[in-house]
Amino acid sequence: MQEPVRKKKKIKVTRTIDGVEREVEIEVDDTGEGLKWGPNDKHAILNKKIPRVDGPLKVSGTAQYTYDVKLPGMLYARILRAPHARARIKRFDASAALKIPGVKAVVEAPSPQPQGPQPDTPPSREIYFEGQPIAAVAATTPEIADDAIHAMVVEYEVLPHVVTADEAVKPDAPRVLPKGNITPAEERGDKSKVEAAFANCDAVVEADYRTSVIHHACLETHGMVVDYRGGDAATVYASTQGTFTIPKEAADALGLPESAVTAIVEHMGGGFGSKFGIGIEGQFACRLSKQTRSPVKLMLTRHDEFVMARNRSGSWQTLKGGAKKDGTLVAVQAVQRRLGGLGQGSQAGQPYIYTAASFHRQVVSVHTNTNESTAMRAPGHPQANFAMESLMDELAYKLDMDPIEFRKKNLTGENGAIYHRQLDRVAREIGWERRNKTPGAGSGPRRRGIGCAVGVWGAGGNNQCKVDVRVTRDGAVTVAVGTQDLGTGTRTYTRAIVAEELGLTMNDVVEKIGNSRLGSANASGGSTTVPSLAPAVKDAAVNARQMIAEKIAPLLGVKPEEVTFADRKATGGGKSLTWKQVCAALPPAGISARGEWRSELASRGAHGACAAEVEVDIETGFIKPIKIVHIQDVGLPLNRLAIESQINGGVIQSLGMVLYEGRVMDSKLGVMVNAGFLDYKLPGTMEMPEIVPLIDDTDPREAVIGVGEPALIPTVGAVANAVFNACGVRVRELPITPDKILMGLMTKEKTV
Amino acid sequence: MADTHDDKELKNGAPADPGRRRFLKGVGIVGAGAALADQLLLHADAEPQAATAAQDGAPGAMKITLQVNGQKREVSVEPRTTLLSALRNHMDPPVTGPKLVCDQGTCGACTVILNDRPVCSCLVLAVDVVNKKITTVEGLGTPGSLNPVQTAFVEKDGMMCGFCTPGFVTSISAYLKRNPNPTLNQIREACKGNFCRCGTYPKVFEAALQAARSATSKV
Repeated sequence: MQEPVRKKKKIKVTRTIDGVEREVEIEVDDTGEGLKWGPNDKHAILNKKIPRVDGPLKVSGTAQYTYDVKLPGMLYARILRAPHARARIKRFDASAALKIPGVKAVVEAPSPQPQGPQPDTPPSREIYFEGQPIAAVAATTPEIADDAIHAMVVEYEVLPHVVTADEAVKPDAPRVLPKGNITPAEERGDKSKVEAAFANCDAVVEADYRTSVIHHACLETHGMVVDYRGGDAATVYASTQGTFTIPKEAADALGLPESAVTAIVEHMGGGFGSKFGIGIEGQFACRLSKQTRSPVKLMLTRHDEFVMARNRSGSWQTLKGGAKKDGTLVAVQAVQRRLGGLGQGSQAGQPYIYTAASFHRQVVSVHTNTNESTAMRAPGHPQANFAMESLMDELAYKLDMDPIEFRKKNLTGENGAIYHRQLDRVAREIGWERRNKTPGAGSGPRRRGIGCAVGVWGAGGNNQCKVDVRVTRDGAVTVAVGTQDLGTGTRTYTRAIVAEELGLTMNDVVEKIGNSRLGSANASGGSTTVPSLAPAVKDAAVNARQMIAEKIAPLLGVKPEEVTFADRKATGGGKSLTWKQVCAALPPAGISARGEWRSELASRGAHGACAAEVEVDIETGFIKPIKIVHIQDVGLPLNRLAIESQINGGVIQSLGMVLYEGRVMDSKLGVMVNAGFLDYKLPGTMEMPEIVPLIDDTDPREAVIGVGEPALIPTVGAVANAVFNACGVRVRELPITPDKILMGLMTKEKTV
Repeated sequence: MADTHDDKELKNGAPADPGRRRFLKGVGIVGAGAALADQLLLHADAEPQAATAAQDGAPGAMKITLQVNGQKREVSVEPRTTLLSALRNHMDPPVTGPKLVCDQGTCGACTVILNDRPVCSCLVLAVDVVNKKITTVEGLGTPGSLNPVQTAFVEKDGMMCGFCTPGFVTSISAYLKRNPNPTLNQIREACKGNFCRCGTYPKVFEAALQAARSATSKV
């Protein structure tokens, strides 16, 4: 007997590995034409505004987040953090803390081990950043746990530190890592060729661009409730972007087999790239739960969150760009420094999405004694976008060209046409012709300006999801998969796809998610959730529909493929059955159908463009964002309401990065000085411009693509360019705060 | 003269301790140095347990009754326990609509309505609100019977992760009672003490304006 030969094909997919999105090639079944979504404008439920199904729970305080879990006998845990950027612990004494009534256990942080924490790992004695966890305590109330933290005695030998990149690159700087403070990451292009090319340019711009370290600032802090009271099973309620990133790590920490741990992620309060795996806080929670044989809740405090929950890496980029009079970008040279603290940081390679005849880039990581960076919504992209889009703008003004025309000239290649139409659309929406022909022109203290930028993201899917659809004889329809909903609307489209396929309404279907006992799913990183999950849901729903059709076709006197499902009815041969009648014809156990990823239902490549208008008060330096327009192609828009929200959210986080946010370190003390919402400025209601989220319906793809990350990227460049257009000051260091505007105006530091 | 708490303890036979040591214990030792904390704890060890100590073992804890969403809820708190912590951590079953996010009154996620005024419950001590009417987001409506603000939030998608949503819903519900016909700018002002990290503000504004329209049209 020969196995039937299954055709295979190789495709590129996005995988989240250690919280960083990577493009990998995998082999999948070639399903050929296979399944189809059908025309984007011919859906009954999809591609419309679908209110999110968990909305009523969220607006009434009924939705239960990890932070809300309260179990009988549950203990509350807190973490003791180091107050120094570099130190050695000489003495740690928790005896006083353990004497406080209500304190149940104290555990110390293990030394970092190459193969992960081991049971007999000695406690960590070296401190490498302010905020490094030293120990954790579990107590009967959060207040007592707090007391215990303050009752722990630690004696430190304080050592020399370096917390800023400028100091870290100096030859005599204290060593952050044994191998030094600079790690080479990548070098590409022809250095001598690019240097020669500048000689033939009509305009050359060379400048340093810097972006600050940005914090995820998830409103629900990192953390979990570990419920292990001894025995052979444990449950972990986790605030995570990956239900299935929890069981293995928690099981290792508890000394249990992976199958013994159930992870639950009912609702979660924001992740933005920072929540994969159990983290050090999860290690603590597991050990405390095991030791006390009680459920332990360990949620980071807000201060913890700022100094130890990692961040978006900063950047320091030295760019040199040269262009011809006709607007052709000829040469780009870049020294890209990723500022990821103890980590590597991330930064998309320059010249980003533009094409230059010759380029050279050298990418390095500059290390400091600060908390390591991690993925954050479109990792590496807004940093690169700000620098490159600023450089492009500077070149355009130098050549006296319309910045949009200059961009179009250099957005060639297969996706060039997409950007061209998107730039035209946002230009029309913002009123591009109203921009200052001469930056800073106008009278009076308040000057308006308009700028633009473009961005790209992969946003493809992968084959990790297994979805189950069950239909029972009483008419109930359940779609189950262990995935998580970060607020992106996963629950809603999962239900919608099944409802549409079976000709039902949203209220006829119930989704079950957020549990590692259900079918597997990928972690939500890299905007991969929709393109990985939605095709598997569709596949399961199609399989369920076909199984039902086979059962009822004889009743209608037609072939199974002639049965159609719509308006809560099955129709064929001029007859129809109500949904109730359909289900009554099912076998006693109902039907169960499984779905897996279908590559033909997903696509990749998310393109976006943004135009922004701002008003700058040249007397105070105050910047008021007026209007931001962002257009995004998404293939088939599953839920227009949720996509609009996602675009708004991307724009607003990008706005925070360009105008308000940034970690501030005291270089002498080595500590973060704005580790709280009082001092780390998030955009709020008073900063909100009018935002116009546009879904690019001219995208012909009848396939799904992720949208979470791409929407964040270009606003940062567009706003920076609008500020220059408004007041004639080019600020090359984010965030663009009033002091930088005033300094620029005073020193007449203008590029034109 | 001793305060009322000490009077109770005297009656119960515990030694009066109106001094600084009790005060420090009462407000917690947050901010005190580790060495000072050590000293304090040595004293605490030597001291007999107060008769009013709560079951959870916290010294100085007492039972109070709060009026939460129209119900009388008994809860054991220390003088330093915030209203937010009393609701979320010390009641059974807990009231978890109000969220702990910043713990410094900057983000509004813990907003509750005290009588008619929205406040950050992380900045209010539980013992100070014994005689006040406390309304949390749970008291404004339930999934099956939402108030106009909650309904509008669902229809306009005024949320993503939803962790800030109880705070926004509560702030706006309280504001619309004072001003049923607000402008967009008044809505911005009314919830400028609420942060959202997912970036739902534009939809929150739409929802608030729709709620105002639907509520006034019903009157």
